[in-house]
Amino acid sequence: MKLLEIKNVSKIYGDLKALDNVSLHVDKGEWVAIMGPSGSGKSTMMNIIGCMDKPTSGEVLLDGKDISKESGKALTEIRRDKIGLIFQQFHMVNYLTAVENIMVSQYYHSLPDEKEALDALERVGLRERAKHLPSQLSGGEQQRVCVARALINHPELILADEPTGNLDEANENIVLDLFRQLHREGTTLIVVTHDPEVAEAAQRTIVLEHGKVAREIINENFVE
Amino acid sequence: MSKRKMFLRMITASLLRRRSRMLIALLSIAVGAAILSGLVTIYYDVPRQMSAQFRNYGANMLLLPAGESSMTRESAENALQSLPADALIGATPYRYVRMDMVSRQLSFTTAGTDFEQVMKTSPYFHIEGSLPENDREVLLGKAVADQLGMRVGRSMELTWQAGAQTAKAAADSASAAGQTSGEDTAADQAAEQDRQPGATLTGSAEGWQNALIYVTVTLDDESKIKTIDVDASLQTEEFGGRTATDEAFLTQFIGKSLPLTLNEAGIDALSGATVSSGAVVRAINEARAVQAGSAPVESKRTFTVTGILDTGGEEEDYIFMSLKDLEDMTGEPGRLDVMELSVQAASTEDLQKIADDINAGATAVTARLVKRVTRSETTVLGKLQSLVYLVTVVVLLLTMISVSTTMMAVVTERRREIGLRKALGASDNSIRTEFLGEGLFLGLLGGLLGGLLGFVFAQVISVNVFGSPITLQPLLLPATIAVSMIIAAVSCLLPIRSAVAVDPALVLKGE
Repeated sequence: MKLLEIKNVSKIYGDLKALDNVSLHVDKGEWVAIMGPSGSGKSTMMNIIGCMDKPTSGEVLLDGKDISKESGKALTEIRRDKIGLIFQQFHMVNYLTAVENIMVSQYYHSLPDEKEALDALERVGLRERAKHLPSQLSGGEQQRVCVARALINHPELILADEPTGNLDEANENIVLDLFRQLHREGTTLIVVTHDPEVAEAAQRTIVLEHGKVAREIINENFVE
Repeated sequence: MSKRKMFLRMITASLLRRRSRMLIALLSIAVGAAILSGLVTIYYDVPRQMSAQFRNYGANMLLLPAGESSMTRESAENALQSLPADALIGATPYRYVRMDMVSRQLSFTTAGTDFEQVMKTSPYFHIEGSLPENDREVLLGKAVADQLGMRVGRSMELTWQAGAQTAKAAADSASAAGQTSGEDTAADQAAEQDRQPGATLTGSAEGWQNALIYVTVTLDDESKIKTIDVDASLQTEEFGGRTATDEAFLTQFIGKSLPLTLNEAGIDALSGATVSSGAVVRAINEARAVQAGSAPVESKRTFTVTGILDTGGEEEDYIFMSLKDLEDMTGEPGRLDVMELSVQAASTEDLQKIADDINAGATAVTARLVKRVTRSETTVLGKLQSLVYLVTVVVLLLTMISVSTTMMAVVTERRREIGLRKALGASDNSIRTEFLGEGLFLGLLGGLLGGLLGFVFAQVISVNVFGSPITLQPLLLPATIAVSMIIAAVSCLLPIRSAVAVDPALVLKGE
C-alpha cells in the first residue's frame, strides 16, 4: 500500500527547474533512500515531502490525500500529525533539556507527557541524559534525542535529512541501528543522503539528477 | 502535563537560560519603568510638595473686613474655626496707623502685628538683627532705617495722635508760613517768637556731608536751655555722631540763652566734629516750637530697634511693633485691618473652596485669595506637570525602541529555533503566543523591578529637590507593571511579525 505517491511533480524557481516532472512512490513500512549530488533537486523534494513547500505542478498524495494544493496552515497541521523530521544539524532548542526538547514536539502535536518523553529517551539509550542541555550532549547524543523527538507523536512517516552527515562512524552506526529497529516496527522511513553507505542501509534508493529520477536501485543485500 | 505548564516552562527556560540577551531587554524595561513610576510619583506628589514650597512666598489668603470698617480680632479668629485643622500654617493680624517721629518731623505707616505669626505667613522676611520679643521694641523697614540712619540697638520715640494731622503736616504748614514772609529774618523772627519760657523747640541743620542733625531743647522759666537732646544718627558715629553723646559738649549748652554762636560765650566745637558742632548750634537757633496739635489723645513711647527688615517690597517703608504696643498707644484694642493667612491646599480650587467656606460662615469678614501667589502656583504646577508628561512620553518611546530592538535581535538570533518549532508543527499563532508570552513576562519582571527602583528614584528626587519624603501611591506598582507589560507587548509586535515570517524549510538546508 502506498503511503506517499508523487505524480508528475515539477518545481520551478524562476528559470530553474529544481524538479522536472518527477514521479515516485513510497510504500507503507518501506525504507527508502533519496540520493543525488547537490543541485539534483534533493532538497526541493525533501521540502515538498516534508510539507514545507508546494510543487509548481503535479500531485503529492500522502496517505491517499492530495496535499499539493493545501494552504500553509493545513500543511503545518499535516506535518505535525503525520511526519517526524530528523535534520543534519540536529536542531535542538538550545535552552531546553533533552526531555524538554522532546516535549516541545508533543506540545505542538497534542499534550506534553514527560513520562512518555522519558520512555522515548530510554529507547534511544539516553534516559540518564534527560536533564542535560544540548550543549552538554555530544553530536551523536543530540541526533539520538532528535530521533526520539521524531518518533514521539507516532508519525506515519519519518523524514531524515542527511541524518548522519555530522556524525562520526560510531554514531552513524548507532543511528542506522535505530533506523533498522524502527523499520522492523513498521515505520516508514525516507532518508535523504549523499552518503552511499547510508543509502545502502535502505531497501531501495532513488537517485535524482538534474531534477529528474535518474535511476532506482533495489538493495538486494537488505536484511530485515 | 498541561499545555499551559509546558508553555510557562518554555518561556521561563528561555528567559532564565538565555540570560545575557534577555537581561538587556529586562534592563531596558526596568529602567523605563523606574523613570516612569518615579515621574508619575513626583507628578502626583508635586502639587503637595509645591504647595508647601509656595508657602515660602507668603500668605495666599487674606481676611478683610466685610464693608468699610475695620474688623475685630475676635471675628477674624472665629472665621478661622471653619478651616481644616492641619490646613492653617499661619495667621498674622495687622493693624496699620500713622505714627510720628516728632524730632524728625516725619511720620510713618506703623503696623501692629503678632511677631510669633509673622514668619509663618512671611517666611521670606529677611531680618538684620532679630524680631521684637518684648514690649517697646520695633522692627524697622530698611527704607525707614536708612532714612532715619537707625541701626539695631538704637532707640527712637514715636508719637501717636488721634487727630488726622501729623507732625509732618504741621511742620510743612509751619515752614510754609515761614516762606510766605520771603526773608531769612522772618524765619529768625518766627524762631525768636517761639522761645517762650517752658517751650519745647526742635530744629535741624545740615552737618558733615549735608547729613541732617536734629536737636530738641526745652527752655526753663527764663527761656534758657534746660535740656538738650541731639539726634546725630545720620552722622558717622566716631565723628559727627559724638555731638549726640559727648557729655562735656552737651552740658555746655545748659543755661545758655538763644541765639548762640559757636566758639563764643563758652560754646566750643567738639574737636574732630567742627562741622557737626556748627550744625547743632544752627539747629538750636532755628528751632521752632513743637506743634502741640489739636488731637485729644496723644501718646508717646520710646522704642528700641531690634531688627531691620529687608524684603525689597513695600514692607521696607513700615515700622512694625507688637499689636499690644500699638493698641496701648492708640487705645483701640481688638481692631484689625487685615489678617494674612497661609493655608495649605493641594490646588487653587481647594483653596478657593476654603475661602468660600469662610465667607459662607462669617459676616464680619471676607476671605480672599492672594491671586499673585495662587496664580503663579497654578502656572508653575501646570508647567511642571506638562514637563513630566513630556518626559514620560519620551521615556516610554525610548523604552519601546530599546525593547523592540533587543527583541528584534533576539528573533534574528533564534531564527533556526523558530524554524525548528515551525517544522515540528508550531502554528503561526503558537509562535506569536510564545514571543508575546516572553515579552509579557519581561514586562512583568521589568515592571516589578522598575516600580521598586522608581520609588527609590522619586524618593531621592523628592528629598533632594523638595527636602521632604514622598508619599507612596499603593496603586502605582501594579499600574507600573501593567504599563510595562503593555509596552513590552507593543514592542514585541514587529519582532513577532518577523518571527512568524521565518521559513521552516531553513532547518532542512543544513544551515
